[in-house]
Amino acid sequence: MKKQIELIRNIGISAHIDSGKTTLTERILYYTNRIHAIHDVKGKDGVGATMDSMELEKERGITIASAATFCKWKNHEINIIDTPGHVDFTIEVERSLRVLDGGILVLCSVGGVQSQSMTVDQQMKRYKVPCVAFINKCDRSGANPSRVIQQLREKLGHNAIPVQIPIGLEANFIGVIDLISMKAIYFDGDNGEKVRIEKIPAELMAQAEETREKLVDAASIFSDELTEAILEEKEISEPLLISAIRTGTLTRKMTPVFMGSAYKNKGIQPLLDAVTAYLPCPMDVENLALDMDNDEKPVILSYGEKDPVVALAFKLEDGAYGQLTYIRLYQGTLAKGDTIINIRSGRKIKVGRLARMHANQMEEIESIPPGFIGALFGVDCASGDTFVSPGLNLTMTSMYVPEPVISLAIVPKDNKAQINMSKALNRFTKEDPTFKTHVNEETMETIISGMGELHLEVYIERMRREYNAEVTTGKPRVAYRETITQMAEFNYIHKKQTGGSGQYGRVAGYIEPISDQEFVFENKVVGASIPTQYIAACEKGFKNCLQKGPRMGFPVTGIKVVLNDGSSHAVDSSDMAFQAAARGGFLEGYRKAKPVILEPIMKVVVEAPTEFQGGAMGSLNQRRGMIVGSQDEGHMCSIEAHVPLAEMFGYSTVLRSLTQGKAQFTMEFSSYKPVPKNVEEDLIKKVAEGKKHVA
Amino acid sequence: MNTIKRRCTGSTPVGLLNADQHCQNNIIYFRERNLDMLKKDLILRNPLRLIEHETEDILPEGGFGAVLSRAGIGKTAFIVQLALNNILRDKNVLHISLADPVNKVSLWYEETLRNIALLYDIKPIDKLYEAILAHRLIMTFQVGGFSVPKLAERLSDITEQNIFRPQMMLIDGLPFDDTTYDSLSELKVFAKQHGLHVWVTIRTHRHENESPDGLPLQFTGVSDLFEVAIQLQPEGEQIHVNLLKGKSIATSNTQFFLDPATMLIKDSM
Repeated sequence: MKKQIELIRNIGISAHIDSGKTTLTERILYYTNRIHAIHDVKGKDGVGATMDSMELEKERGITIASAATFCKWKNHEINIIDTPGHVDFTIEVERSLRVLDGGILVLCSVGGVQSQSMTVDQQMKRYKVPCVAFINKCDRSGANPSRVIQQLREKLGHNAIPVQIPIGLEANFIGVIDLISMKAIYFDGDNGEKVRIEKIPAELMAQAEETREKLVDAASIFSDELTEAILEEKEISEPLLISAIRTGTLTRKMTPVFMGSAYKNKGIQPLLDAVTAYLPCPMDVENLALDMDNDEKPVILSYGEKDPVVALAFKLEDGAYGQLTYIRLYQGTLAKGDTIINIRSGRKIKVGRLARMHANQMEEIESIPPGFIGALFGVDCASGDTFVSPGLNLTMTSMYVPEPVISLAIVPKDNKAQINMSKALNRFTKEDPTFKTHVNEETMETIISGMGELHLEVYIERMRREYNAEVTTGKPRVAYRETITQMAEFNYIHKKQTGGSGQYGRVAGYIEPISDQEFVFENKVVGASIPTQYIAACEKGFKNCLQKGPRMGFPVTGIKVVLNDGSSHAVDSSDMAFQAAARGGFLEGYRKAKPVILEPIMKVVVEAPTEFQGGAMGSLNQRRGMIVGSQDEGHMCSIEAHVPLAEMFGYSTVLRSLTQGKAQFTMEFSSYKPVPKNVEEDLIKKVAEGKKHVA
Repeated sequence: MNTIKRRCTGSTPVGLLNADQHCQNNIIYFRERNLDMLKKDLILRNPLRLIEHETEDILPEGGFGAVLSRAGIGKTAFIVQLALNNILRDKNVLHISLADPVNKVSLWYEETLRNIALLYDIKPIDKLYEAILAHRLIMTFQVGGFSVPKLAERLSDITEQNIFRPQMMLIDGLPFDDTTYDSLSELKVFAKQHGLHVWVTIRTHRHENESPDGLPLQFTGVSDLFEVAIQLQPEGEQIHVNLLKGKSIATSNTQFFLDPATMLIKDSM
């Protein structure tokens, strides 16, 4: 493996779905001789693109898991993480960005800056990932790179500066003009592998000169030398201009824009040149770890080859050889036979096989140098774990993990499926921190939660295909609760004297609502009207009533029981009798205390372009949502509302269709609130129907 | 009236509400009060009723009121109390902020209501807060992005769909410069069309002198558009609430203050 860290590039390719990321990666691998044939994403040859290694991805034409791969271009080693473009797989994008040094932001020359481009751009900003933009699909009808550049500036706030201009557009797109060398570049051969450099066509000369002038002007901000050269009207050398653009790019104050058509094999080689010229090597990026021994004080990592190892596991995959753990080395060199420690579990690990990946093929290696991305075999860990050399106690800054927004109940079809399902769930939750699972204690169903309907759908599909676990899915049941709204008294005698030993117990007191606790029991009995030994039985009796509310069978919360009187019988009273009396007393008081059904209310924030604000608000309103406010943020707005969870299922699809896929929403639990009367009536009907079915 | 008020302010469960006969005949315990009673109680206890009449607003429909002060004195707290006073009377308030995000504005309401509840010993504050939420909508704009046509567009979005129909509008953080008069005039027409009562905060500056008529410089150019102007003036440890323009307070001898600790309006030191 190359040891020169300056020649390493860890890059990601991020963009909106269907912008052509996977096709672009495929072409990059082809031109860097990693693959010898090109397969399209939805190709007729049925092979699928190399990066879409999962069967499901090939079928749907989307990239689900980020496959890591590496290639060489002009002495540089480039590690590429192909990231999914769908909003439901955002954690994959986030994870990739966490370990990357630079990115290619792929934009469709027809679609321009779409909602997902905004999301990935925000993620890039969060992790301060410098990027170059690539305007793809310049051969498509309606292609307009200038408009996309304008959108990059206006919608994403990038200082987007074209470094190329297209030669022809749509069907006439034949190449690009490089504004640095001021040469026309054409792509010949069956797969565009032969780069032909020519003079700029005369008709485009004026446009090229004008655009170059703007480029030089924009770059001059980042280089005094360049500014001087401009002022002294000296000739501007290529290295000088490249160096200025690089400085601007690394500080994220400038985004050089390239263009081409991956599908038509045009513009890829200059983009690779740009990756090596403008994007950072690992040493250009300052990475911090937290010192666990020193109050989590940030520590700058060194990238020294001989320093102790600090590595981050950013992705897990279950392969034929066990768990494959993708790691990024931040410091030190990880070699076969080394001992490292997983900071989270404290477990020592002996490094066995090491590999670097090329989508679903792998190449065994002896060591992973600092700044590199590689993989470990057979290491039991979770995604996001930090590995260090013994003696160190550093952890990489925790990754931002969004809370799941949607849940679904799943039921295995048979016993075999049950076993496989638990295996699959165990694996998925380790691989993907946004995918969570739990067993609902009330319904005893397995509930899976994730970032969107498609997210969960894909996991269900994966369970079926990879683990042979057939499951049926249901609409998740909303966790309703019951409570009372006013104080009510009870005075109940439990008396049973029909054969055998008798039962006697009387309880009296009142129940009242409380807001901050689930259940409070207060004993105010004086004069031993209820003997002390039966008080615990009374409490137990009341408590048992809470599990299944008398009104609709939902758990009862927020209730205080005060016991202030009662009576007992010397022979017939028992724990059982007082438990039964408490149950009777509870039912008596509960009926009088105006019980209501509570439902979970979610805080929903919708982010949408301003033109869709009205529609988005209307959609929330229709779902019994109460709009708290709207925030205008230039082209985008965010709307905050409180909406019942029961109304939110299927909302992502509705919102997408309502806003042409340009809006997204987040949702988190806010509080429990009483269900409106009409909804309660519907619920009662549903519960009654459910009981009928059971009967 | 004063007697009733004093008797109502105990923490013991006395049921003195909005009418004398209730005070005399019925005892209603705190825990049995419903939200309407709580609201009425709060309206009665609120010193703002002396500024805003109990049954009618200080501003006519389409009328403008201004709250002026230097930065950090309590303009937002003051207008939030104006809003709460209206919300308690089941009027819909649209709060427009050009300075703070939605969460922060929400926090102002929560804090102010909590302070009021603490002052008057009102317990089910959560329920009360939930009840007022339905009558309040917050909209925030970037300063440069706010314009009357834009506001009209946003408002029609929500009124046409019957999401919210405001009766009172608060605008917090509007910068006052040479162009403000035109946009305020435009806003006035808009407010009249929609029957809105509009309160605007105006930030004054310490270093600027007052105009000859005693009004802050920012206000002089636009004062003809406003029916009422209230200035918050810190003097010593007190923040005085002074009426610069309008009649209602002038007829009353009461001097109002803002409590510097809670930012609540009070009518005695």
